[in-house]
Parts: sequence; C-alpha cells; structure tokens
Amino acid sequence: MSTSATGPSTHAIELRGIGKRFPGVIANHDVDITIRTGTIHALVGENGAGKSTLMKILYGVQKPDEGSITVNGKHVTFSTPADAIAEGIGMVFQHFMLADNLTVLENVTLGAEKLHGIGDSAREEILKISRRYGFALDPDELVETLGVGERQRVEILKVLYRGARIIILDEPTAVLVPQEVDALFDNLRQLKDQGHTLIFISHKLDEVLAVADDITVIRRGTTVATVEPADVTARKLAELMVGSELPSPSTEESTVTDRVLLSVSGIELRDAAGRPELTGISFEIHAGEVLGIAGVEGNGQSELVETLIGMRHPVAGTVRLRTSEEGDQDITRWSTRERREAGIGYIPEDRQRHGLLLDSPLWENRILGHQTRPPSVKGPWLDVKGARDDSQRIVSAYDVRTPGIDTTARALSGGNQQKFIVGREMSGDPILLMASHPTRGVDVGAQAQIWDHIKRARSEGLAVLLISADLDELIGLSDSIRVLLRGRLVGEFDPQTVTPQELGSAMTGAGEDA
Amino acid sequence: MNLAKRAALGLAAPVLALVVAAVVASLVLVGTGDDVAGFWKTLLTWPQGRNIVNILNASAILYISGVAAAIGFRMNLFNIGVEGQYRVATFAAAAFAGAGWLPGKLNTVVAVLVAMLAGALWAGIAGLLRTTRGVSEVISTIMLNAIAGSLVGYLLTRVGSSTGNTRSTKQIEQGSWVGGITIFGDSPTKLFGLSLVAVVVGVLFWLLLNRTRFGFDLRASGASETAAVASGVDVRRMIVISMLMSGAVAGLIGMPTLFGDAHNYGSSFQTGIGFAGIAVALLGRNNPVGIAFGALIFAFLTEQGNLLNILVGVSPDIVAVTQGVIVIAVVIAYEIVRRYRVRLEQASVGEQLEAQPAPQPKEPVS
Amino acid sequence: MRRFSKIAAVALVGALALAGCGSGSGSGSSTSDGSKAVADACKSSSNNQGPKVGLAYDVGGRGDQSFNDSAYAGMEKAISDVDASCTEAKAAPDENDTIRAERLRTLAEGGFNPVIAIGFIYSPAAATVAAEYPKTNFAVIDGYSTTIPKAPLKNLSDLVFAEEQGSYLVGVAAALKSKAKHVGFVGGTHGDLIKKFEAGYSAGVKSVDPSIKIDVQYLTEDPNDGKTGFENPTGGKDAATAMYESGADVVYHAAGKSGLGVFDAVQTAGDGKWAIGVDSDQYLTVDKAQKPHILTSMLKRIDTAVFDYVKANADKSVKSGFVAYDLKVNGVGYSKSGGFVDDISDKIDAAAEKIKSGEIVVPTDPAKVK
Repeated sequence: MSTSATGPSTHAIELRGIGKRFPGVIANHDVDITIRTGTIHALVGENGAGKSTLMKILYGVQKPDEGSITVNGKHVTFSTPADAIAEGIGMVFQHFMLADNLTVLENVTLGAEKLHGIGDSAREEILKISRRYGFALDPDELVETLGVGERQRVEILKVLYRGARIIILDEPTAVLVPQEVDALFDNLRQLKDQGHTLIFISHKLDEVLAVADDITVIRRGTTVATVEPADVTARKLAELMVGSELPSPSTEESTVTDRVLLSVSGIELRDAAGRPELTGISFEIHAGEVLGIAGVEGNGQSELVETLIGMRHPVAGTVRLRTSEEGDQDITRWSTRERREAGIGYIPEDRQRHGLLLDSPLWENRILGHQTRPPSVKGPWLDVKGARDDSQRIVSAYDVRTPGIDTTARALSGGNQQKFIVGREMSGDPILLMASHPTRGVDVGAQAQIWDHIKRARSEGLAVLLISADLDELIGLSDSIRVLLRGRLVGEFDPQTVTPQELGSAMTGAGEDA
Repeated sequence: MNLAKRAALGLAAPVLALVVAAVVASLVLVGTGDDVAGFWKTLLTWPQGRNIVNILNASAILYISGVAAAIGFRMNLFNIGVEGQYRVATFAAAAFAGAGWLPGKLNTVVAVLVAMLAGALWAGIAGLLRTTRGVSEVISTIMLNAIAGSLVGYLLTRVGSSTGNTRSTKQIEQGSWVGGITIFGDSPTKLFGLSLVAVVVGVLFWLLLNRTRFGFDLRASGASETAAVASGVDVRRMIVISMLMSGAVAGLIGMPTLFGDAHNYGSSFQTGIGFAGIAVALLGRNNPVGIAFGALIFAFLTEQGNLLNILVGVSPDIVAVTQGVIVIAVVIAYEIVRRYRVRLEQASVGEQLEAQPAPQPKEPVS
Repeated sequence: MRRFSKIAAVALVGALALAGCGSGSGSGSSTSDGSKAVADACKSSSNNQGPKVGLAYDVGGRGDQSFNDSAYAGMEKAISDVDASCTEAKAAPDENDTIRAERLRTLAEGGFNPVIAIGFIYSPAAATVAAEYPKTNFAVIDGYSTTIPKAPLKNLSDLVFAEEQGSYLVGVAAALKSKAKHVGFVGGTHGDLIKKFEAGYSAGVKSVDPSIKIDVQYLTEDPNDGKTGFENPTGGKDAATAMYESGADVVYHAAGKSGLGVFDAVQTAGDGKWAIGVDSDQYLTVDKAQKPHILTSMLKRIDTAVFDYVKANADKSVKSGFVAYDLKVNGVGYSKSGGFVDDISDKIDAAAEKIKSGEIVVPTDPAKVK
C-alpha cells in the first residue's frame, strides 16, 4: 500500500520500464506509459510490435521480467487475471468468449455468481448497466441471436458487471462494419463520461484519431511516442509506427482485358444439414482483373473460395475456366488438384491450417500445393534439389526473413509465413489467384510487398479473386467490388467512386433494395 | 543450427529415453527385490552367436510390423489392426503354400503375394469403412482383429489337420521353404532367408516417404489434414491407399517364420507381433531408421530376458515393463527435445530479424 | 499438444497390448496347490544330489493357479523324494518357436537334465533342441514333439493325458445329478485340446441318458487367443450364468482361470445348481461359499507326470516317445471332496472300469459323440 502522498492519483495506470523476453525474442523493453484517469488512451503499433504482450502483462496473463506497474497510485504485481480484476481492470478480447447457447444474463453471470447471484438482482444490475451506457441489451436474449456489435457490448458489460473501472479493448473494431464502429465509439465516450478509463488497442489510425484522448505508439517492443490527436495526422502516426513512410494500396492503370478467364454461374452450396450457404452466385473475372469481395465475415466468403478451389462441391451451378491452351472448360466437378494443375493459385484465409505444414521445413512447404508440378517433382518422384532451389528463390525474391530454407515454417513470424505462401502461389505462372485476406496479420512492410506482387502479376494478365475484411485494401487493389451478404452477391461497386460507408451499408444489408 | 548441434539434438532424445528407462527399470528391480547388479551384468553381456541370430530374426519381424503400423501413423491413421491383418495373411499364405498348387520357389513367391493381398484386403475394409461411413479406423481395426482371430480359428478347423493337441494348415513342401543363412558356423540357428525382406521393406519405405510425391502427400496428410486438402490431396483416397499398403506390409510379417521355421500356420504360431509393432513404430518415431533401432532394442531385450530369467531369476514381466517404460520415455523425451528445438529455432529466427533492418518497401508504391 | 496427446494415446494402446495379449496354449486347468506363495523349493534345493531339472513354464508361470502350478507340485515332490533340484524359466506372452527353443537351449546348456517343458506349444521347440543336445532328456507336457523328428529321438518324451476319459466320468456324474436333464460345458479356446474335454464329457452324459440336453459354449473361437479363453473369469461367468438361467443345473468347465467365473455363477444361481472343476481338486481351493456347489473335479495329474518323469531320470529308466496318463495309471480321474458324489460313485467307478477294460472307447472329437 503506497498511495501517493498527493492524495488520489489522476493517473489510472503508470507503466515504468516494462520488459518481457521470450526465448530469442524481446517482446517488450523499456515501456513507459502513463494513462490518465477518465480518458480513452489508444495504443497503436503494427502487428508484432508488442501491443498484445504488453496488454497481457497489464491484465496479469504474463509477468514482466522487469519494470513496475502502478494502478491508481498503488504499486501492484499481478500473477493472474484475477489479481487484475481485483484492481478494477477488465479486458475485452478481440475474439469473443461467449457461450452461444446461453442468454446474455447467463453469459454475464457465468463465473461471477457471487456478485449478484444469477436471478433477478443480477438481471436488475445488467439492465441498470445497459441503460446507463446505452447498450440496449435484453438480459434474456440468447447470445446466438445477437449481432457482432451486440456481442461486443455483452463482452463490455461482462467487464463492467465485475466492477472494472479500467477497460482494455483489444482491436475492438476489427470485427465491426463502419456503422457499428460509430456505435461502439458512442458507448466508449459514455463510459468515459462516467469516469471509466479505456485502453484502446488498434492499428486503424483514423479510428484512433477520432476517439482517443492520448495516443501511445509502440514500435519493435517499446514506446516511441505519446501524442495527442490534435497534434498529429494519420500519416504522421503511421510514420511513427513503421519508422518510415506508410504505403497504401492504389491501383495503377487498369489492366483488365476483355478475355473472361473464370466464369461462375448460378452456384448453390448447401451445408451438411441442407441449409443454403451460397445462393445464386454468378460472376466473371477477366484476365488482368482483380475482383474484390467485400462482406462481414461469415457471410459465405470462405465457402465461396472453398467451392472455387474444389474443396467443396456445389449442388447447382457451373464454374468454367478459359485458358489459352485448353480453351473453355467446365471445372465444376474438378478436384482441388486438377484445379491447381490448371493454374489456380490459392492464398488461404487461415494460413497455418490451410497453407502450411508448420513442423516441416520451408523447402517442403514449397512443394505443398505443387505436388504434381515442376520444379518440385519429376514424375512420381520429388525433386528435392529443385524444390530447395526454388524455395531459396522465393526467400530472396519475396524477402522472407528466415535463417534458411531448412527452418520449420512454425518458427517464422506470421508476415514471413504469408510472404512465403504468396511467393509459392505466384510460382509456376498461375492464371487465377484466389487470395483470402492476403495481408491479414502482416506487418506494414510485408503488406506493401504483397500488394506489389499482386499488382505486378495482375499487369501480366493474372486474374485475382480478392477477399478481404480491410476495406482500404479492397478499394485500393480491386478493379471491381462485389458484396457478399448471407450467401448472396448483393451489390457491385466501382472502387474508384465507392466510399467505405457505402460498402458498409451493403455489407450489413442496409442498402439492400427491397 | 550447425550440423554438430543438430546431430546432438537428434541423439538427445533416444539417449535421454534410454537413461530414464534404465533408472526406472532399476527402481522396479529394487522394488521387487531382484538382483540389480546381476540384471545389468547379464543384460549387457555380448550375446552368443545363436542369440545374435535370434535377435536379428526377431528384429526383422518386428521391423516389418513397425513399418506396417508407421505407414498409417504417418498420416494420422491409427491402424491398430496390423495384428489381425498379419494373422489373416499368414493363414492365407500358409494354406495356399501348403496346398502346393505351384512347384518349388514359385509357390513361395506367389504365397508371399497372397499374404500381401490378404493383409491389404483385411486392412482395406477398415479404410473403406472410414471413407464411406466415417467409422474410426481405431474402432474398426480393433474389431477386425477379433474377427480375424475367430475367422482364422474357424478356417483352421475346416482346412487344417491335427497333430497332438495342435491344429495347423498342411505342411509346406520342402521345395518351397526358404533356407536360412548361416552367420555363425557354430550356431544351431540361422537367419531366416525372408528376414532380408525387412531390409527391402525399410528401403522402399524410406524412398516412398522421402522421395515420392505419394510419400509427400502421405506426410502432408498426417502433418496437417486441412493443409493437405487445400493443396489438392484427396484425403479419402489416401486413407484407402495407405490402409492397403499398411495391410500389405503387415501381410509380410509372418513370412520369415512361415517359410523359414514353422512351415505351417497353427495354434502355436506367434501372435502379438502386430501390437508389438505399434510400440516399435512409436519407439522409432515412424522413421525408417528409427524403427530399425526400436526393433533391435525390443528383440535384444526379449532375447536377453530369457537369460535374465534363467540365470538371475528375473521374471520376463520385468523385461516387458522395461520395454513399456522405454516406449513411454521415448514419447516424452522426443516431445521435450522437439519443444527445445522449436525454441532454438525461433531464437535463431529472432537473431536473424535483429540483424536486419526493419522491413522496408523496396520501392515507393505507385 | 494435439499431436502429442494422440501419440500418447497410441502409446497407451501399445502398452496395453503388450501387457495384454495372453497365453497361447493353456489347457483347461485351474488351481492345483492353491498357489499361496510357498517357500521357493527350487531355490532351496540347489545342493541336492538328484536330477537337476529345468522347468520351462507356459505363459503365466508358477502361481497361475493352473497347470504350471500343478507341474510345480510334482517338482516339489521330486525334490523331497528323489533329492532333485530345479531352476525355472517362465514364458512371456506372444513368443514364437525360436524364442521357446532358445529357452530350452539355455536350460540344456546350463547343465540341467532333464528339461521339462510345460504346454504343448513347446513341442516344435523341444523337437529341435532335443536333437541338438542328445545327452539331455526333454519332456513336453501335453506335447506332440515326438511326432516331429523324422527318426525318433531317445531323449524326447511327450507326457500326454486322456482328458476325455476323466471328462467322461464327470459327465456320468453330471448326468446322474441333473434333475432338469439339462447340463452345460464351458470351454476356453475352441482348439483340439479342449475339444477332448467336451467330447468325453458329452459321451459320459449321453451314456447315462441320451435325452439330456447339453449346452456347449467356448469363450473364444480363436485358438490362439488364450487370454480370452483361459484368463477371462467374466466371460466364464456370463457363459455359465446363461446356462443356469436357461435351466441347466450342472456345468463343467475346461477354461483355466475363466472357470473361477463359472464358480461365481453357480454360487449366484443358488441351491440345486452344480459346477464341476477341472485339472485339480478345485473343491479345495474355491471360496467357502462356493464349496457346496462343487460337485466334483476332473483330475489331470500333471504333478504325477512330472514326478514320475524326474524319478525315471534319477533311476535312468526314462521312456522316450508318448507316455500316456490315462485311467489305468491314475493319470486322470475324478475327485470326491465334499462327498457330493458318494451316492453315485459306484456307478462312476463302474464306468471307469469299462473304460480301463476297453469296453468303452471314449471319443476325443465332439463330432464323433453319438
């Protein structure tokens, strides 16, 4: 107990000299942050800069190797999240931790039964919090019926219910469409007005500038600056983040040709229970064209890609591929391997599950997806030398940071894993590339490189199906954008003229014509 | 990582496992009041010529069984049914060869093929059940083991003949036997001619695994089924093919003994090799070279167990306990070393990143 | 680690399998001397001057309450009566002829003479090794080793039993005691050896009253699966319970340790239900509560065979080839402990006399029982 002599501190949290090392990696060092009580404090930095580790330290998930944490003027050490909760710190994770088959009330009281029981007094308390901050949540509604924004409010409510005065929000906007982001920010401002302190982790700079009172920038594990939004621009913030100028995707001259490469018509896909997952999907992609698919996650993007690569088979509709050698072919019933052999490249959404053999060396990962094509094979035999040489080429051409091609894929950072996958899928002159979230979780530098590679291939006639949650990326790279909503294509936009707000409306169905 | 470090890491796991197993075995011996010093002295005595031959024969059989299990394991297909597969196969081959439809060595060659076919078909049932009905191969192969025993027992009463209290298939004509190879002149035992099949199986397994497309697909399916599917592997087809291959290799397990020693299949034919093969495959980490070491260690312990029993009075159960402890110790030791290796590797990637400047776009965009 | 736990699961399966897969060859047999670990006769006899006997047990070894113990009982008698000494070697599960031969070889090389192998499964191994060590005498209990070599070996004997004759006698007893005219037989593995028990038993029952119904069940059809056959009291209990419930009132077992389940079943079935033991006088070793239900036991005198053979070695009067232990030499028989067969023993003994005289030839194959 060492409450500072000047009475109640005006600093909710002070971090001094925090350092944390993992074997071979310094996650954080010399981190100094001061967070004023009753403010929204944004923590920005690119992926892998050390934001998450820092927040885990603050929430008691990990212990720092050095440095001190002071909460409301009191020096503390956290061994478990329970210690942090006891000090009034709560955390809202990016991935919701809610039980779908339980009600809001049950989810909130789960694990906190001692506070207000699980009956009417708990319901009272939830309604009280919900009204005070404008959450508009019904305690007896099932979580599975709630939308993403509402679920997030349940998460925040959970934290408040447990008495948190300091709330950490880890990338809260990543899963939201623009309208929901605005609603979230209203909630956050209300919380702030009631005296709560909010720590807001993000790498979306416009949002940070819109809502934060203070902004701390983290780069390579340490704090590089704390600024106020009035004093900086998004560009300036980005430069602080990456230590260089921020790249942004933007299309050059259109390279779209009039040669239709992929033509999809009337695709219907059903799940195991016979419920429709994709309905009446029809579109064409021309050589040299990037077709962007926008949509809130879970509206059929994964299913669309899996259908096109042959991992799922539609109950109706056709997929046709036109190549210069073979002409027009119906590939609806083709296997994944046949499609890959025909020149379809695939950058999967979940690179660790679908794109890599994590415990195999990089050069073996070069063979993956190319098991029947040179340079990695000769007839039924593997061509080890060919695969190794070509892996070496990818490592240098795509700037994959690795000690060598015998390193296992697991050891690489996410961005470098992704660069290797992009390099691999670009090998062997693909004619069509299906890219699901190609730059998700990739640092800014690698992001620019990946965009660059896609654009270059496009100019050489590659057709690209681009699926992304990053609207800037979609608008910047695509030649045209379609929106996927509940398994249907609902809108077509010209990226030259569309705004994120318009896309957001289409993605949530607000813009649907009757 | 340099070569020396890598080799040291590769050796670390087995050495660690053997040391742990030795300590545990000694403790068990102290617990049972046996002669610990005598145990080690006898165990580590260099075997006589005939014992070496026995060890080689037993290793060859265990090795084939280990490879049969490993083919499935490499793609996370838990073929527990090697036991049933080799019994069905050995019976089929013995019945075929005993009938003597073909002359001399041609009979032998075709009988071996019959064994592979029978083993493959028996395993293929489990493969088909898995791909068409989603039945876990663990369950179906265990069931098929039980069915195999009863089926062979039944067939034996139909086609077999009795000698004393045992019943067996017809004795194979001497012209179809495969002669032994004399290694030590003074030894009454010889290396079974067909023990050499183990070497062929091992080389082919290594080649298949590491040098063929099929082997890559197999390993990929085992390492990450999702990634394999996305790369274009038809996993259902792979399941059926690898079950067939696993069964075909299982079919070879009984061949060295059948043509080199027993000359018929009967109620005294060795059982349990299929299960021992699972342990040997684990011990060898499903690796062609590793399985060979695993088979040698198991065969060595079993052979020396006899001496321990008679000279030191240690029960063969203790030897079985030691074998079990080795398997568990190996599994744990490899996991520890694997984690350590991953950490080393991440550290080396970390150093690599430290050494380079922050990633910069190579050229200004647009 | 997902992968790790899978591997661990398989390791477990493997370990279970290693520990599990059981004996191959036991006969229908059970407790002989109760196996209450007595002082180790072999270790204390090392200075004796009589024959140095090497005993190679079947799986389970001494203490199996089965025929390994019965053999040991004969050995004990030899130690006290002919000043013999011994050493013991135990089999592990899942051996082949090479491993068994090596066990016999090690004993022979260690200077033990005679070497007695317990269980027919040693027959091929004994035939091989006897040829290599002509100065050592080998005997196989239940064996057929002497049929294997092309020319007979002077130093090789098979000590075999007429289990069908003893089984015939207990079959007569069962038929005479059955009020329901319905009896049962529980066998271990469905192999030739146990079929001899069934054949004799059925013939005995039918000789009293051909209309008596006989339920027959083997615990496994797999002749190589000794574990399910002979070490499976639960299976024995299930099989016997079903017989008692369907009306049988006498059940004979030839299923080794699995027979203990038959005794559990008869106790549960209650008054008026009987069970018949095998190999040794099982009345002496079962629980007190089960004693009133043990009608009799078919005796297979492995102890006698072992003792006789050791004694013959001491006297230099070893007979090679088949040595038959049948009713004539009291190699098989039935027990009277409990006094439950006293009222019918004259009829049983009369049947025994007919067998000895050759008037009755007991079949060894159930298919040949008329």
